[in-house]
Amino acid sequence: MIELLMTVFSATFFVTVIRTTTPLLFATMGGLIADLSGALNVALEGMMLIAALTAVIVSVYAPWYVAVLSGMSAGALLGALMALFHLRFKADIILVGFAVNILAAGGTVFALSQATGGDKGTSINLQSKAIPALDLSLLQAIPGVGPLLKSLLSGHSLLSWLAVLTVIAVWFFLYRTPWGLWLRGVGEYPAAPEAAGIPVNKVRALSLIASGALVGIGGAQLAMFNYVGFTRDMTAGRGFIALGAVLLGARHPVGAMLAALLFGVFEALSIVMPNLFNWIPSELIQTIPFVVTILALVLFSYRAQRARQLRTLSKI
Amino acid sequence: MAAVLEAISIGKTYPGGTVANDGVNLSVAAGEVHAVVGENGAGKSTLMKILFGIEQPDKGELRLEGKPISFANPREAIDNGIGMVFQHFSLVPSFSVYENVVLGSEPRNGVRFDREKAIAQVRALSEKFRLHVDPLPAVGDLPVGQQQRVEILKALYRDARILILDEPTAVLAPQEVEELFVAVRALVEQGRTVIFIAHKLPEVLEISNRITVMRGGKTVGQVNTKDVTEDSLATMMVGREIALRVDRAAGRGDVACEIKALKITSDTGSTIAEDLNLQVHAGEILGLVGVEGNGQAELLEAVAGLRDVADGAIYLNGESLRPLSVIERRARGLASIPEDRLARGLAAGASIAENMVATRLADRRYVRHGLLDLNAIKANAQALIERFSIRAGGPAFAVGTLSGGNMQKVVVARELAEQPKLLLVNQPTRGVDLGATQFIWKSLTKARDGGAAVLLSSADLSELLALSDRLVVFYRGRIVAAFHNSDDLTPETLGTYMLGLNTQEPETMRAALQ
Repeated sequence: MIELLMTVFSATFFVTVIRTTTPLLFATMGGLIADLSGALNVALEGMMLIAALTAVIVSVYAPWYVAVLSGMSAGALLGALMALFHLRFKADIILVGFAVNILAAGGTVFALSQATGGDKGTSINLQSKAIPALDLSLLQAIPGVGPLLKSLLSGHSLLSWLAVLTVIAVWFFLYRTPWGLWLRGVGEYPAAPEAAGIPVNKVRALSLIASGALVGIGGAQLAMFNYVGFTRDMTAGRGFIALGAVLLGARHPVGAMLAALLFGVFEALSIVMPNLFNWIPSELIQTIPFVVTILALVLFSYRAQRARQLRTLSKI
Repeated sequence: MAAVLEAISIGKTYPGGTVANDGVNLSVAAGEVHAVVGENGAGKSTLMKILFGIEQPDKGELRLEGKPISFANPREAIDNGIGMVFQHFSLVPSFSVYENVVLGSEPRNGVRFDREKAIAQVRALSEKFRLHVDPLPAVGDLPVGQQQRVEILKALYRDARILILDEPTAVLAPQEVEELFVAVRALVEQGRTVIFIAHKLPEVLEISNRITVMRGGKTVGQVNTKDVTEDSLATMMVGREIALRVDRAAGRGDVACEIKALKITSDTGSTIAEDLNLQVHAGEILGLVGVEGNGQAELLEAVAGLRDVADGAIYLNGESLRPLSVIERRARGLASIPEDRLARGLAAGASIAENMVATRLADRRYVRHGLLDLNAIKANAQALIERFSIRAGGPAFAVGTLSGGNMQKVVVARELAEQPKLLLVNQPTRGVDLGATQFIWKSLTKARDGGAAVLLSSADLSELLALSDRLVVFYRGRIVAAFHNSDDLTPETLGTYMLGLNTQEPETMRAALQ
């Protein structure tokens, strides 16, 4: 137990948490935008998987940032595809989302075997690149707190810093710009923005595209930093956990970020725990993030119900 | 007066062949209140949608200040100074008043939404047009009358010179209607033009300068308000003389249904209604008055067995209904015409014949040895279609293909096919044309004369006053007043109780509660 606490309160654990949280955070922001626009994006998982593979393959031939951009574009393209089927052809958004997920599960394996010349499990024989980490060793020069700052802040993926900026940008967009007001209006009561002359379907389509782009960046981070290279089903439910984080975070960017961080912590735990408790089957430990997701959502919905009751009581 | 907005021989046929507008003409003068009246299905809404750019006409043209114009979408209509307030408000509930008003045309400061400026603009606007609303609270927390003001402010914020109000009084209590009319007059004084869609004729006569009458997708005529009476207008609307009068009950029988200290709570545990004590006699109609959402609908659901009761008792002819299921209650002579015919009254995809026996699947006449007797079901439907003069292609037609009035008649036919002992009725004529309204009213009074105790709830006060023998007023889940119906009882009197502005002496109330 002491060992676990020692590990959890170490700087390396903090770095692990940031690493596990980053892809989740992008996916969560993507899920949040789509959800607030009224189009629940259940395809986060599939989009992330396709983006991860796209980024890995592109990185063999191009610099890392081009690969990240290609992952982002793959996500955006899938978002546009969903918008096309949902908004133009009036298909149910949940069904379209699952179609993308199924396409991703099978399609990535097929594309992987084409790209690697037959390997259906990993991209191990592709020379894929990684996203560089930002080296902040110069922080060490600060007297007193320098070494601590360095060990906490140095060595994160560039995209982790981008993720933090993204949360701020999403918040600013949603609550400080007119377009954010449009998006939230479209999600809550589309008849109102429609009557005000706001192109409701365009707003939703753009939200789905933005959603795909964000989760696409998350996929690139997963396959170019957390792991270097692609393995089949490597997203392992992160897209669905992100959907949970959106709800748990009360559909607010900061809340969703905290929820993503919570899930990130448990994922990090599931990484370090097998080394400390070798008597627990590692498969059991790996279920922790998912069990926590379910518990957190049950707790959240219970609390939300309580809050509603209290609110209606206080009105009387 | 010069016409500011004209529609000339407008034609509109929807895919599927419904001719909604056929050679419709409308000429609205600047600075007037122009009413457009007609029954449901007369084509008023389609015409308004064309004026506001939601639909495009197949034929004819629009002229704005003499110049031909066409609107591809609402945005273009808004940009040309036309504003519309829909019957169903287009407001985002969680947004504040000012956010709703400026939505779509927000004041900006760089890329930022300039909230301070928006609040100041909304304040100035509401002062200028005497539409008092606080800009800050969330719209969802406001009463309906205030929400409507927000809608009007929204149009005025976009500089609407011509304001279309679609059935604005349908959702308002009488006092709120008065306030709305004050605001409409203020608008006209400031040079705006108002197009007022309605089907309640007394209101039209009070507020409008000129009236265009529509029937069956065509314009019947345009008249000056001062030249017409309610009766002549009604005749123009329907195309034949129509008498919306019903006979009161001749006399009433014993107490049939008794409700004692009933308490109803919502799923989350908050109280919806409490301390309800009522007696309904056989052969009388008891009207439940109140602004929607004050507990009337929930009382009817509780009696019907569609909603759990927290406390209290309901008796029908001395037997407690609370332990009984919906089917058992129906077997004891309870019938119910629910508020929302499509959600609760009918299965839209099923046939008329199937809908008409849906409540009688334990009846040996229609079901034998667990199998449907299709011939008997069809014969039953044919008889009811005839008896209730339902306009339909036949018993096998899906209910969803009928007009609102005929759908409602299917519900009424099923519930009144056999004489009920207790009849629950909620919004019997909402969205139903005058002809069907007349028929449904007659059916209700016939059931009453046959000895049914009737509980009637309606958002339409004139309907309640026309049909009820006694009335009780609900306010915030309690009965706050009770009256014996008489010609002296006015909507305004009821309105003061509906809005909680007035309270009744306990003795007076007790006397009228018997």
